Amino acid sequence: MENGTRASVSAAPDATVSRSVVARMAALVGARNCISDPSELGTYESDGLTSFRVTPGLVVLPASTEEVVAVVKLARENGLALVARGAGTGLSGGALPVSGCVVVALTRMKRILEVDLENGFLRVQPGVANLDVSKHLGPAGYYYAPDPSSQSVCTIGGNVSENSGGAHCLKYGFTANHVLGARVVLGDGAVVDLGGPVLDGPGYDLTGVLVGGEGMLGIVTEVILRMLRKPQATRTFFATFPSTDEAGNAVSRIIASGVVPAAIEMMDRLAMQAAVAATGLDWPDVGASLLMDVDGPLAEVEHTSRHSVELARAAGALEIRIPKDENERALMWKGRKSAFAAVGRISPNYIVQDGVIPRSAIAEVLHEIAELSKKAGLRVANVFHAGDGNLHPLVLYDARVPGQEKAAEELGGAILRLCLRLGGSITGEHGVGAEKVAYMGEMFGEADLETMHRVRCAFDPARRLNPGKVFPTPRLCGDLPGPYVPHPSELSGEATRG
Amino acid sequence: MTATAPAAVRAGTSADAILGVAPKEVFSPATIEEAAAVLEEKAHASASVGFVGGGTALGLGRPPRRLDAVLRTEHLTRIVEHAPSDQIIVVEAGITLAELQRAVGAHRQRLALDPPLPERRTIGGLLATNGFGARRTRYGSLRDLIIGVSLVRADGVPAKGGGKVVKNVAGFDLPKMMVGSLGTLGLVATVTFRLHPLPDSDITLVARARTARGVRELASAMRGAQLEPAAVAALLQGERFDVAIRFEGFPAGVAEQRDRLRQLVGQEPGSACDILSEAEARALWERHDALRTAGPLRAKLAFLPAALEALAEGPLANLMGALGEPSFVLYPTLGLGFVAGLPKDAALVAQAVESVRGSLAGTGGSLVLEEAPHDVRAHADPWGPPPASFELMRALKARLDPEGRLNPGRFVGGI
Repeated sequence: MENGTRASVSAAPDATVSRSVVARMAALVGARNCISDPSELGTYESDGLTSFRVTPGLVVLPASTEEVVAVVKLARENGLALVARGAGTGLSGGALPVSGCVVVALTRMKRILEVDLENGFLRVQPGVANLDVSKHLGPAGYYYAPDPSSQSVCTIGGNVSENSGGAHCLKYGFTANHVLGARVVLGDGAVVDLGGPVLDGPGYDLTGVLVGGEGMLGIVTEVILRMLRKPQATRTFFATFPSTDEAGNAVSRIIASGVVPAAIEMMDRLAMQAAVAATGLDWPDVGASLLMDVDGPLAEVEHTSRHSVELARAAGALEIRIPKDENERALMWKGRKSAFAAVGRISPNYIVQDGVIPRSAIAEVLHEIAELSKKAGLRVANVFHAGDGNLHPLVLYDARVPGQEKAAEELGGAILRLCLRLGGSITGEHGVGAEKVAYMGEMFGEADLETMHRVRCAFDPARRLNPGKVFPTPRLCGDLPGPYVPHPSELSGEATRG
Repeated sequence: MTATAPAAVRAGTSADAILGVAPKEVFSPATIEEAAAVLEEKAHASASVGFVGGGTALGLGRPPRRLDAVLRTEHLTRIVEHAPSDQIIVVEAGITLAELQRAVGAHRQRLALDPPLPERRTIGGLLATNGFGARRTRYGSLRDLIIGVSLVRADGVPAKGGGKVVKNVAGFDLPKMMVGSLGTLGLVATVTFRLHPLPDSDITLVARARTARGVRELASAMRGAQLEPAAVAALLQGERFDVAIRFEGFPAGVAEQRDRLRQLVGQEPGSACDILSEAEARALWERHDALRTAGPLRAKLAFLPAALEALAEGPLANLMGALGEPSFVLYPTLGLGFVAGLPKDAALVAQAVESVRGSLAGTGGSLVLEEAPHDVRAHADPWGPPPASFELMRALKARLDPEGRLNPGRFVGGI
């Protein structure tokens, strides 16, 4: 989504993969699904965070779990790192290659394998686009809840790796709340099924650990998703406010009233201007707006939407618009969902930031961001999921002006530190990826990171999968101490070790 | 750690035993720092440690292979932080669910988790055992409510994951990792939850005398009608089920869903759906809770919702036939249920347990004995066969507790 003019962080010279390995990979997945031509590798050198670029050694596009296994084993034999990738829409560099690695692009694995309406789940391959799941379920009256803004393109496999959110996770939760199980290929080529459509399998919640593992725990080749019945009714309204203070106050009042909105999104003046420029919507030029959905049984949403409108008015709303039909509603949401890209209309370059604050601190944070913005001499457009305090400040800059790019990055960093100071998080839904590794040490202590690293080592002791993400400093796994290998008779309960 | 006062300690007795294994020492630290010091000391001594909260789930699992010490969380009961306007709470692991609910209830909020015995069950214990109640129907389980955790590792090192905001994907999901881990990965020190508003209105209806098929069809019809019950639980009453359906929310929505449910059920010949008074509803949910804690044998079943009849009329009927005073609580929308009763013949019961497991194996279902008399345990493993991902579970355990000192042997597959 960015214009990609920020400096490449690729430091090491791009390594190449030997010809014999290329030939063997090509034999595994088919020559046309094995990309080694430098001119074609460029497509895979970044994800949506285009300022981070590293050319991979090789890209393979396997068509099955078996092919992924074969690719992983061959990579392992040759000591090559593996980076799994979906549609490449991630905004944190989670799919950033490492020099000389094998990128495993799962976009050919896009079949919906099983739909079980009665038991409420479906089984899909990782390359299925997020929105295609809901499209597939729609005629039967069901849908898949997580709805990242890139949902028409981004894949389920990528969603699993990043634990993607979206506008509607305030009520319905994130990817992690909707993934029941997965088939993964581990770094040594072993295939493991985690979880499944039946709840509460005995043992650790490895599915819960996998989701949000940023592609470092396993390569996902099948995912079991929970489907939801469509709500009986949805009510949407769009409210404008003189400033973000009143809008933030409206959010607080609505939440405090006991309403759980399906989504409640805030945009400030600059973000609204961008959306208007991109979509031609007739939104007024005011300080802030809210776009809110409530859904559920009809009588419930009639009540909650009416009540929320009253609260927005009481908080100082200038105007309330209620869409007269589904078309108008879709347009309002289009305005919101296009806001990131729309900023490209009002600025040559921008950085999308993703941080989280306690919801009640919205107004305070926006003032501080305005201060930071003034100090840096850069404009910041704010779009965010107000219900859960997930900010997406868009830092606008012009890369042609010397020093602006660096200033923009510093401003983005200052905003993240502001989130941390208020007890929030450095990422609400984009992931740590390669972009935010430096901030992990500010949010977590050494013991926290080391504990997370132990989890990684349990899944991938060779650290072959997606190296360089999440952790601020490289870490070794170390050998496991010997004693804990229970004898089979112990496992079966026949013997104990005193 | 050196500045920390030593935790209160006493000699263990048979009353402190976990599944028949009595610890040598029992620690009751007053702070998390003290708890960390105990674990550090036990690490140096290569001693095994078990954790006890409210002591309501001590029948779960296999007897520990060793138990040098028990660490009780009874004094770790503080509310670290409650931010009503952010709808989050941070609590120490030893606080009871009821105490937490009273604190947040004063702000018209709740933790949307309603397992039985809230006055006794602690947050740490609930997390360790993935405890839940009927409202899981609507609000999900602990994994859907937890947003942060701090733990003390086997080596005495405190570590945390998640955070204090509802939306957060920074770092690996240690909170979910701890759910259901039965004290084998570390001591749960504090837990952070998202809270929900208390509903203005709450009503329970009962559809009576339904077969297993009738229960499944009702659940399916409610889904078709886009009703959104907060809880659906079927209680076996003789040969048939009474299905309790609870709606919560704003009065208008609750009333409308109530009427639509009655219409839905009324369309079936001979069916009725009664609206319960407040007192009747309380009594019904109390009975639900009592059945959920019944014994001396209690099995938790997990299955595909559509497989209910095949299960209930097949191998499960045999199991219930082998129990005196059998009870069955069923969550038809979740595919979860609890069977309890008095085993008539241990070997027969164990055989029936294995046959239920056999019938569930193909779909990934499971039967776990939450409570069972000694003679049944002699014939049947409480967990059943380890899952497909067992090697990975062992690897996780080995990384977090390399010497296998935390609740050794008690968990799935002898972890």
